[in-house]
Amino acid sequence: MRSEQEVCQAIRRHADRVRRLCLLHLKNEADTEDIFQTVFLKYTLSDKVFDSEEHEKAWIIRVTINACRDLLRNMFRRAVSLDDISEQAAAMPPDHREVLEAVLALPQKYRTVIYLHYYEEYSAPQIGQMLHKNVNTIYTLLSRGRNLLREKLGGDEHEGSAESRL
Amino acid sequence: MKDQLKAAFDQIQADDALCQRTAQIVMERARRPRFAATRHPLLAAAALIILFAGGGWWLFFKPTAVISLDVNPSLELKINRFDQVIALDARNEDGRDVSEQLQVFLLSYTDALQQILDTEPIRDLLADEEILTITVIGPEGSQSTRLLKGVQSCTADQKNAFYYCAHHEEVSEAHQLGLSYGKYLAYLELVQLDPDVTIQQVQSMTMREIRDRIAQLSDPDSSDPLFSPGQGNGHRHGAHHNE
Repeated sequence: MRSEQEVCQAIRRHADRVRRLCLLHLKNEADTEDIFQTVFLKYTLSDKVFDSEEHEKAWIIRVTINACRDLLRNMFRRAVSLDDISEQAAAMPPDHREVLEAVLALPQKYRTVIYLHYYEEYSAPQIGQMLHKNVNTIYTLLSRGRNLLREKLGGDEHEGSAESRL
Repeated sequence: MKDQLKAAFDQIQADDALCQRTAQIVMERARRPRFAATRHPLLAAAALIILFAGGGWWLFFKPTAVISLDVNPSLELKINRFDQVIALDARNEDGRDVSEQLQVFLLSYTDALQQILDTEPIRDLLADEEILTITVIGPEGSQSTRLLKGVQSCTADQKNAFYYCAHHEEVSEAHQLGLSYGKYLAYLELVQLDPDVTIQQVQSMTMREIRDRIAQLSDPDSSDPLFSPGQGNGHRHGAHHNE
């Protein structure tokens, strides 16, 4: 078991990341709190030795996504109110709110890969490894997700060529 | 778009109260005695005492067969003569990730198999049309036949499941080469068609990639891989299939 100091440091390092992943999957404060406890309890009890901060970060992301999926399987929690998104978004500058709402309006299967690629800056092969999906599936999800976002937000033309180098 | 997304997601942060509550609750829960975590060792200890008393230790804990499960995660279940799991070995990094989610010690092999199939990574991979190969390694005889039938029954709803049987002698080199038994058999099949293929390449390939490659090399005129989605429940057997 890890020490209290180690756990607190890990929470500081990864709390924002876990929070964002919860927003992508859950959009519900009570469930978010459950996920925080699940993820960091698993971290506390795990004997896993991390080679680097990147290794630890990837582990936290994977555990969080799995925890969110497990929680969503509970049918009583599936009916999620969209009011929570609006409440969070209302406090943001309009530009950011528009972007965030566009991402959250994407089908679930696109949200995580878009976030992992654009925000966490993982490549398609890395995302494939993390989500246990075929890399070609990730390329497809990224491409379709990006196109949907462009339709909503209006995209830069030059980004298409940049994305082909994923 | 990247900058827009970065700026928007930067706005999402965990507040201090959530972090503090999490730290407090997690440490409280972590310090609680965990019955679930200690139950299996206690059961195992009780079983050991009984078995020592009866002189059955050797009989009980001697593996008589191995079930190798390969998608890309590669796992091996060591099975005793009573069809119970006495060890779980992960044969690659993906396998280690899956094995961390499992508690299969002393379970029947069918329950252990079901637990493996129910893990998130395996479920997602199979949903993505990846191939599951299950190889029963053991002497020709009733247990191998029974195990093979059992795993076929457990995975009857998996359309991309393939089954093999092999003797220990056939796969004795597998672990030295860093491969599971099941993947080693696939490697032997592939290397006959492509002598240039390396162990390192095979280590990083999924079973679908290996099978597709074998299919392409076996029938170069065919542009479609043999193992295309929707093919149906496959039942392929090694040279020493016991059915």
